[in-house]
Amino acid sequence: MTTNMLTDVKMPFCPGCGHGIIVKSISKSLEDIGYQPNDVVIVTDIGCAGLVDPLFNTHTVHGLHGRAPALGVGVAMGLNNKNKKVIVIQGDGGATIGLQHILEAARRNINLTLIVFNNLLYGMTGGQISGLSTDKFKSDRDLEPGIPPFDIVRLAHEAGAVSSARVVSPRNFNEYLKKALDAPGFSLIEMASMCTSYAVSKLKELEEYSEEENALTNRRAPVEATFRQTSSLFDRLQGIPRMFGSKIHQRLGIVLAGSAGGGVQSAAMLLAKAGTLSGLHSTMKGEYPVTVGTGFSIAEVILSTEPVHYTGLNKPDVLIIVSEDGLSVAKHLINKNVLVLADDKLDVSQYPEVISMPFVQEAGKRGAALSGLSEWIRRSGMLELQSLVEAIGKHKHGESLLKALFALEKKS
Amino acid sequence: MKTEEQKKIVLTDASMIITEACVQSGADVFIGYPITPSNRFYQYGGNRFPLFLAGPDEITVMQWMAGLSTAGRFPVTATAFPGLALMMEGLNMSYMMELPMLLIITQRLGPSTGSATTGAQGDLGVLHGAISGGYPLPVFCPSDFEDSWYLTHEAIKTSIALRTPVVLLTSKEMVMTSKSFDISDLKPLERLSMNFDSDPIELPYQTYRSGQKMVPPFVPAGNDEYQVRFNSSTHDNEGMIRKNNPESLNNTRRLKEKIEKRLNEYTFFEYDQQDDSKDLIVSYGISAEASRDACAEWRKSGHKASLLIVKTLLPVAPDILGIIRQFERVHFVEENITGLYREIIFGKMHADSVFSVEKIGSMITPEEIIKSLQS
Ligand code: SF4
Repeated sequence: MTTNMLTDVKMPFCPGCGHGIIVKSISKSLEDIGYQPNDVVIVTDIGCAGLVDPLFNTHTVHGLHGRAPALGVGVAMGLNNKNKKVIVIQGDGGATIGLQHILEAARRNINLTLIVFNNLLYGMTGGQISGLSTDKFKSDRDLEPGIPPFDIVRLAHEAGAVSSARVVSPRNFNEYLKKALDAPGFSLIEMASMCTSYAVSKLKELEEYSEEENALTNRRAPVEATFRQTSSLFDRLQGIPRMFGSKIHQRLGIVLAGSAGGGVQSAAMLLAKAGTLSGLHSTMKGEYPVTVGTGFSIAEVILSTEPVHYTGLNKPDVLIIVSEDGLSVAKHLINKNVLVLADDKLDVSQYPEVISMPFVQEAGKRGAALSGLSEWIRRSGMLELQSLVEAIGKHKHGESLLKALFALEKKS
Repeated sequence: MKTEEQKKIVLTDASMIITEACVQSGADVFIGYPITPSNRFYQYGGNRFPLFLAGPDEITVMQWMAGLSTAGRFPVTATAFPGLALMMEGLNMSYMMELPMLLIITQRLGPSTGSATTGAQGDLGVLHGAISGGYPLPVFCPSDFEDSWYLTHEAIKTSIALRTPVVLLTSKEMVMTSKSFDISDLKPLERLSMNFDSDPIELPYQTYRSGQKMVPPFVPAGNDEYQVRFNSSTHDNEGMIRKNNPESLNNTRRLKEKIEKRLNEYTFFEYDQQDDSKDLIVSYGISAEASRDACAEWRKSGHKASLLIVKTLLPVAPDILGIIRQFERVHFVEENITGLYREIIFGKMHADSVFSVEKIGSMITPEEIIKSLQS
């Protein structure tokens, strides 16, 4: 296997293009450091800078416009090997569209080197200005004068890059490159390049238009990907054995309706667990607005002697309503075939079939739903109340849940 | 029959079952960006995957996934339509680079941000046309907890075998509904390696050279032995950009052929045929259970109907078409109002023999399906 970093493929650039000088410097720096071609993965962006894949004897990954730094992060984390070098190459256009990816890689201090070929514009599409086109360059062409470029070197530094630098003079290329390639963690190097077709054709001109050379460092250890050993999610679940009997025949649907943060979802989960403890098939699902902490909160529980396939619940048998929010979304379910228990503060005068009880007053807002459930169990005898006590078990709020469960019983 | 001691009945949901199935099958990285109703995948994924990464946005997520995949890891993410929209460019890239990975899409009511906490089956059309040029993207769709387990494994197996991204299409009602379930019913899954079932390596190794199986052997970037070149642009066997050259166009054609050629290996469906029935109920995903109930109910009342639950939605398998062709009346049951799957099968052509049970905002009920059978 060859130890040359470069293939003998002809440079694909226009005559005099500065990208060729950079490519040769990269190869020289890698060889100076002592890398073998298979130790290096070069990840390239779209644009003239992204044409370099065939020039290198290394592994290459050719991706999308602006996304190569993120792609390179994936490669580096996947390799997770200090002896391998990931290099990402993109132009100033790519760095503009994918700025977020650069900041993210720097923030995480991922072990890779990002080389930004800055020729002040988009070459491949015909010379449009980028976010890294300098003010002087734009002002002279009367294109968005007065809008400064992103200082990608400072941005990467602020985001946490261990090394970030701008190099303009080819005389300094190797020195800067070797520093960047050697840096442990994320390094960025912006390299000035000539676009002879659309920007400048003389080095002196490029130097005039470019921002000053600069080199910044942060002291940070690189972040390594840690592949953990974890245990099965199922092993972390407690089996729910059949411990109680029930009077439920076939299928029974219970809807709990209240407000977000009112314990509706957890009461429903406890009911589903109690049902399972009673040898029934149980399902539970919640319905709430997108903002979990405010507005209504509805939970549907189905308990059945047969396996439950369809989990929809359009015609519940039992409806427990503990707040205004709950009433407003569940009132369409009220009819004479449904056993409805509602908090006594709710105005349900138009529904004579509703049974009102002081759930909130006796069990508090958070306990009202559970107290409604226990009231239903006491009235109907469908489950043993003890199954709910067992379901609460070692729950971290066990004490207050038990209090809510027996709040009304104490009263009577 | 199991004794009570052999059973382990728990309350769980399909998010947990799918996550566990991923890891047991050998997926080693979960990259998440939070979105409802895929949030439980994020939570379980963070607890269970060997490596968990919190992406800053879905575009980045897809790029990280692709990078990890080139290095020989198997990445998984979970999102919903708004995230999928941002992932589209990266999905096409990974498809072109031939990178194994799994995207779990949890459907919710759209268009746009729609209702994040309402279930739906609205994303099949997007996935059908996801790859520019109409190239087929394998889409698997579990209909219950057992499918969530075995089909996830098959999805990963297919992804590795064919070197392609695959989608597991779920819905809020599937992954956020808890059910009592005997997890001792789920058999442990085989750990799949990244060198699953491709053509053997021929020297000199070329990243995209394939043989009979049409799947080039996967070798990770950064390995010591073979030089690897992944490429998202039109490329030749070596992985070099080549425009309009016969080798690279063949390579592009192969992307379609490799996926269709072995379709029978990953075509999954449940076909409950009743002799002499003229009606067929066709459904998938969250509408499957209502369809099962409706079919049972219909038969109980003395009528006849057959039932087809499709689990490999895309590409459409000849076996599926063969079954559908046998019936005089076909009823498509899916929770959208445009009949996405029906349209993939029958197009825009109106046919007297094709019926749609469709709806948005809540699950289709067994009664609604029976009504269609009565019509
Ligand atoms: S367009 Fe400009 S940047 Fe692109 S190859 Fe030609 S000179 Fe170089």
